[in-house]
Amino acid sequence: MNTLAWWLIRAQFRTRRVATSLSMLAIALGVALGYAIHLINAAALADFSRAMNSVQGEPDAVIVGRDSAGSVPLTVVEAIARDPAVQSVVPVIDTRVRLAGAPAPLRLIGLDVFSAATMMPKLMPRQDATATDAPIFAGGVFASPAVLRQLNAAIGDTVTLQRGDRQWTTRLAGDLPALGPDERLLVADIAWVQAHFGPDDAVGEARVRLTPDTDPAAWRDELARRLPPGLLLRAADDENARVSNLSLAYRVNLNVLALVALLTGAFLVFATQLTAVAQRSTQFALLGVLGLSPRRRLLQVLLEGLAIGVPGALLGLALGYALALAFTRLLGGDLGGGFFSTGTTTLVPAPLPALGFLALGALASLAGAVYPAYLNRRQALAHALHAGFAQTPRARPARPLVPALRLLALALLAGGLSRLPAWSGLPLAGYAAIAVLLVIGIAAAPWLTRWIFGLCAGLPLPATQRIALQNVAQAPLMAQVAAGGLIVSFALTASMVIMVGSFRVAVDRWLDDVLPAPLYLRSKATPLPEDLLAALARPDTPFARVEGMAHATLTLDPRRPNVTLIVRELDRLDPAARLPFTGPLSVPPDETLPVVWISEPLREIYGIAPGQTLRLPLLGGSVEVFVGGVWRDYSRQFGAVTIGADDYRRLGGRFQANDLALWPRPGQNAAAETWLAPYARRDGLEVAETAEIRQLSLAIFDKSFAVTYALEAAAMLIGLFGLAVTLAAGVWLRARELATLGALGFNRRMLGRAVTLEGALIAIIGLLIGLACGVAIGAVLTHVVNPQAFHWRMPLHIPWPTVLGAAALTLAAAIAASHAAARQATRLPLAQVLAGSQ
Amino acid sequence: MLNVTGLAKRHANAGRPLFSGLELTVAAGETVALVGESGVGKSTLLNCIAGLETADAGSIRIGPRAVDIVGLDETARAALRARQIGFVFQAFHILPTLTVAQNIAVPLLLRGVPLKAQPARIDALLDAVGLRGFAGRWPTTLSGGELQRVAIARALVHRPSLILADEPTGNLDPRTADEVLTRLLDNVRQQQAGALIVTHSQQVARRCHRILTLTPDGLR
Repeated sequence: MNTLAWWLIRAQFRTRRVATSLSMLAIALGVALGYAIHLINAAALADFSRAMNSVQGEPDAVIVGRDSAGSVPLTVVEAIARDPAVQSVVPVIDTRVRLAGAPAPLRLIGLDVFSAATMMPKLMPRQDATATDAPIFAGGVFASPAVLRQLNAAIGDTVTLQRGDRQWTTRLAGDLPALGPDERLLVADIAWVQAHFGPDDAVGEARVRLTPDTDPAAWRDELARRLPPGLLLRAADDENARVSNLSLAYRVNLNVLALVALLTGAFLVFATQLTAVAQRSTQFALLGVLGLSPRRRLLQVLLEGLAIGVPGALLGLALGYALALAFTRLLGGDLGGGFFSTGTTTLVPAPLPALGFLALGALASLAGAVYPAYLNRRQALAHALHAGFAQTPRARPARPLVPALRLLALALLAGGLSRLPAWSGLPLAGYAAIAVLLVIGIAAAPWLTRWIFGLCAGLPLPATQRIALQNVAQAPLMAQVAAGGLIVSFALTASMVIMVGSFRVAVDRWLDDVLPAPLYLRSKATPLPEDLLAALARPDTPFARVEGMAHATLTLDPRRPNVTLIVRELDRLDPAARLPFTGPLSVPPDETLPVVWISEPLREIYGIAPGQTLRLPLLGGSVEVFVGGVWRDYSRQFGAVTIGADDYRRLGGRFQANDLALWPRPGQNAAAETWLAPYARRDGLEVAETAEIRQLSLAIFDKSFAVTYALEAAAMLIGLFGLAVTLAAGVWLRARELATLGALGFNRRMLGRAVTLEGALIAIIGLLIGLACGVAIGAVLTHVVNPQAFHWRMPLHIPWPTVLGAAALTLAAAIAASHAAARQATRLPLAQVLAGSQ
Repeated sequence: MLNVTGLAKRHANAGRPLFSGLELTVAAGETVALVGESGVGKSTLLNCIAGLETADAGSIRIGPRAVDIVGLDETARAALRARQIGFVFQAFHILPTLTVAQNIAVPLLLRGVPLKAQPARIDALLDAVGLRGFAGRWPTTLSGGELQRVAIARALVHRPSLILADEPTGNLDPRTADEVLTRLLDNVRQQQAGALIVTHSQQVARRCHRILTLTPDGLR
């Protein structure tokens, strides 16, 4: 770097320590948030994929039932095994069982140990060293180290596995040494699993490895054409895409928020560099006169931007790693999003993403310095040398029509963008609309400032107030810089408050609709025990009414996350008694046609409309069903289909409830819970009152937005920093003018008051515009981003007390920042400033 | 060192001519005082010569190679200033964030002179302007007279062929003004540069080789 450039950068850092440090910190914060989110997501996805791979191995293809209740007939497996292109086929049964002592159901994988050895080596069991025969063939079960630890069990112990009303008592014959410390599963020979839990003559899935000279894609295409409709052929890539799609929108949303923090940081760099250029305009003009070329004057400001951005970004990387560690400890690997349930997440910082975030921070800072650098290049040297940086007041007020038309055009653009559909499942046009709305806010600031305060100029005001008004009205660029950060940060904060508020109110109302019973019983993943269901059917129980519900999964698109199938006991003629429908119900043309009611996300993702018929992969086949309506669902982001238990039975399905909704007889709530307690204890069932579920749901909701609140707070702080920096620099820039006022009779108190009032006026304009933009952005987030990214729709609800409270708090902070600048004004050595010795 | 021919400039806003057909030469080692009433265009003429404002017509040839600054673009004008012109201003214009030595070194850095080669030249100039031992001082600790002497050292450090001075003693008391002017004129003569000094002071003007008066009718 050139010596002079280095001297000037060093001087800038020495003389504007607070402003440059704050800008650096703002960039660091933006980079830190983005990098932390990246690290956490990368680690969570890697853990999830690793867990998937250790169980699934690396097959060329997997054949599964489209319906989780479905299975792959052994005849199909045998036919595939006979194919000369197939090297090996591993049949697998993957089910869930309950084990005494385990708090939640465990995964039990049944496999053929010989064929699985090459494809799924991580699942290979290690038998008890003292065993004389091969215990896997004798019906032994092998547990992962995590299960052994959790059960406090030893190899050789006897365990009882339970699935619904079927039991299997066997011996822990060994462990699964290749599995990770958090992987909780059991492995047994497939024949024994089939014998105890079914299905007969079928397996859950078949994993295929092809001969090396076979083209996997062509083979899969060919096989897919021959497979029965209830079966699905998956490639390993599909699984990765599915895992990635699972949290894609959530990740993108958080990254956009982090990017916003980074952009607010760039804005602070802009404010700092613009005021730095204005403050040093005489110095830059002198350097220009002495021979510093316009290009180097431009480069100097850009270099100063980089000198803020690069250390800021480096600091951000370190801070990001620390934040990621803290977040994973506090919120888990999915930042409270609820997508992954891996145990401890290990952060692995890779050099390439770190370099990417470093570049992003440097670029943001550089972007913030571009306009000040351009202004510096354009300064008229002779004028700036004598008069410094001055924004010349307009000789006559600008015609308001032109900027108004410009703003209207931008508003139309934002409106148009918000109507565009999602791109690759992401609301990119929605985000662009938000960016345009922020541009409108910032562009409107100088125009509104000039217009509003120009109108006020005619009012009979005392000298202090008049001076403050005139200063704000006649220096709209500085007002724009000062208000800009506040506009952006408050607009984003208000919009997030509005979006989260709308969502919370909607979830609250939705919980009322979906939790009609006072008491609920859940068995997590396995069917409820038959003896409990039989006992509940007796007339002497404390329950007036019991409704069952079973959950399974369907694969409609192998590259998308599975859809939930809900089979529940409800009245086909009156489903609205149990489901919160979003629109009118459609009646099937034929009474024999099964009816399903789809959730709102399913309609959004797959474009299915009520009144149409579609084919669903149910019970190992393809079944034609009628879509009777769309119901609101905020708990299953990737869609759900509800079918009545009667229709399901008619289709040949066996309805085995996982969950029960229970209505105790009047006055028997306590008795009902006492009645359920022994079953809950014995079978590890969850009993919860509606109020508890409601409280828990809202707590999960609040937790999932914790990161959003943190980002909002960061953006707000950065905006306030921006205002403070600009106001302080404004006082320095106008030192001569303030000194002249002092000479003309303004005492220090009056000067202080005028500066405080200016700050307050700018903050009020910033907050008003920020509020308007915030409401508009809140509407875009609620009506465009949310449905497109998460497939959830909700009415707009503006929590005015919170929004206005935040505005009042921000105004108070802004006035405090102005007061600090005012104190600086009152400390100016007026005589020296007037003498202008340098 | 300076040869101005047929120079014309109109008022930026009014459009009426400020001056036209100006002819002016400054030889090596010669000091020329430019006087005239306020608003007549002295500073504008100086700005045109420095390439800070563009002339409407004419030519301004500077330095031993007589490069016409009027025909150059902004970057080339800056480069010519860095090589051939030294400036002294009424308001000193010393960079407050750089030390005395760093301020003086700026023109050398702009000419690409390595930092290692600078101290001897800077020390010699500090001696010449009577500021020995001031190299590491900050401008805020200096008096007006001292600041202007730093400005003179900065104007001469890169051995320019032309010095442009705009009211160099305007902010100084008579005794300091006399001392500063002596230093300026001595050093200009010593370096065989030409100097054009804009001034309202008859004392300053009288100490130059020639006095030119700018009037609405031209130079006399």
